[in-house]
Amino acid sequence: MRQSDAWPACVGVGFVRACAVAVISMLIPAVWVAAVALGIWWGAGNPWSWVAPLVLVCAGTLTLSRPVCRIVRLLVARWTATEVPAGYRQAGPVTQMSTGYWWNGFSYERTRRDALMDQKWRLWWTDPAVWRDLRFILIAPFTAGAVAALPLAGVGAAALGLGQSEPVARLVGVLGLVVAVAAAPYAWRPVEPVAVRFLRPSSVMALADRVDELTAQHADTTVAQAAEFRRIERNLHDGAQARLVMLGLSLATAEKLMETDPEQARALLRDARSGAAASLAELRELVRGISPPVLNERGLVDAVRALALDIPLDVTVSADVRLRLDPPIESALYFGVAELLTNTAKHARAARARVSFVRDDTGVVIEVEDDGQGGADGRPGGGLDGLRRRLAVFDGTLEIASPPGGPTCVRMAVPCESS
Amino acid sequence: MRIVIAEDLYLLRDGMVRLIEAYGHQVVATAATGPETLDALRTWRPDVSVIDVRMPPSQSDEGLRAALAARSEMPGLPVLILSQHVEQLYARELLADGSGGVGYLLKESVFDADQFIAALERVAGGGTAMDPAVIAKLLAGTAPDRELGRLTDREQSVLALMAEGLSNQAIGRRLFLSESAISKYTTSLFGKLGITDDDNTNRRVRAVLAYLNKP
Repeated sequence: MRQSDAWPACVGVGFVRACAVAVISMLIPAVWVAAVALGIWWGAGNPWSWVAPLVLVCAGTLTLSRPVCRIVRLLVARWTATEVPAGYRQAGPVTQMSTGYWWNGFSYERTRRDALMDQKWRLWWTDPAVWRDLRFILIAPFTAGAVAALPLAGVGAAALGLGQSEPVARLVGVLGLVVAVAAAPYAWRPVEPVAVRFLRPSSVMALADRVDELTAQHADTTVAQAAEFRRIERNLHDGAQARLVMLGLSLATAEKLMETDPEQARALLRDARSGAAASLAELRELVRGISPPVLNERGLVDAVRALALDIPLDVTVSADVRLRLDPPIESALYFGVAELLTNTAKHARAARARVSFVRDDTGVVIEVEDDGQGGADGRPGGGLDGLRRRLAVFDGTLEIASPPGGPTCVRMAVPCESS
Repeated sequence: MRIVIAEDLYLLRDGMVRLIEAYGHQVVATAATGPETLDALRTWRPDVSVIDVRMPPSQSDEGLRAALAARSEMPGLPVLILSQHVEQLYARELLADGSGGVGYLLKESVFDADQFIAALERVAGGGTAMDPAVIAKLLAGTAPDRELGRLTDREQSVLALMAEGLSNQAIGRRLFLSESAISKYTTSLFGKLGITDDDNTNRRVRAVLAYLNKP
């Protein structure tokens, strides 16, 4: 929010805001008043003449409630920097089942259009956020709206009173002006507490949001895990397993040739030996990709030290403690650092890099810095975005500072207990 | 030679004992855990020991730590570390005391029994036996602006083979050069690395260390 110190500016801004709050919160009551007026005009005595105004009240309230609440949230966020989350339920995907029917998360429908309509109405009807909006619509005019209308009322009184010649009317006019000017800087402010109290999602809704977030993370993890298992299976199938078959074959042939052609048998045995060595090398690479042996033997800091020695860069590793974290977190952080250092070596044109481990009372923070050309970004679908998602599984965060021209500093933070 | 073998997998330990005894050496003790290894090294002070890095009880680097502890108590005690994977980090730790008698090889180096036994004998004699994979990584990690950049290509390849633990004669055979030519190269690279005259084995280890640790 922009704070203006000048008093006239304060009054002016406050007046405009108060008007906006008053207009917004009085919009729906205005519809009600119009409907009542319409009913009276048509004939108050006849009950049937009230049907149309009643429909007008319901339709007006229901259609206007969401836009009005959205504007209130927007204004509060812009003026006071208080974010009031909306928390409307999101529509799930509508999919066609193998039976030909469409499933919208609630019911089966014959056509996609029906499914979407049905979903829309059910969502609307069952969403607590909608009922919360309606409650706000009823409360706002009598609280924030009434207060915000004060400067407007004062100006109205001044305009009426000062135009007349009677002293009493003039006094009322002057009083109205004083009230308007005095109230203007403050009159719009009650909208913030009222919105926070009545528009903020309940703890149940907040929990539901957290559940959604966790479900998404869980889905990410399971997808990543499945992909990882497939990669391992493929590697074993095409690599070590195939080589062991070859090994058995060579040995069987050598056994057969032992008497008839010892020279060729010896050559086959040599092949078998080199095949065994090659499959060991393959398995070693595979194991390194799943769970680096140094990580198991020495923990995170030494594993990163060992990694730093293998990277063709001048990498310094500084750690204030010898951390021992939970194995899943340790592994995620190790592969995170590995990815960052590989990026540095590949793309940053850096000469040196620094990895530092800091432990505070909430968790562990790892910074990877280089003196390269910068320009790293976490665009969706990129490598850094993937890393961010993998850290999110542990409620960890990834911050990237990499202006064009460098240097780059990436910060990974994971809350955890260290032993 | 009197040899101690530390390896937690029974089949591998047994196979190793048979291999070593087939070459006429004597296995005086075997160990299957880190503490057992340290005890055996203290009790027997073997001519050389073959030690696996990962062992019980913690399944971490028990073997390596036992070897380092024993060498700090008995400087120069020859140890040959065998592992499923080789790390520069461990190689540097093993070489750090500069006293020689150190080997660090992948487990599959036993596939070539002759070479394996030769490496074992070299370590027992105070030399080094480093896996070519470690040496390649160590050399790749050195920046060109280091003092070692002043070594010629030929001197660098001689140093690399020296780091693996080969003698001048063996290096000469590898590079198709005469032994006297190799000894000329070694003298000049000792000079460039500032290594003074000393007993020959240690000088070779120190050259490798100088190579690794020059800032």
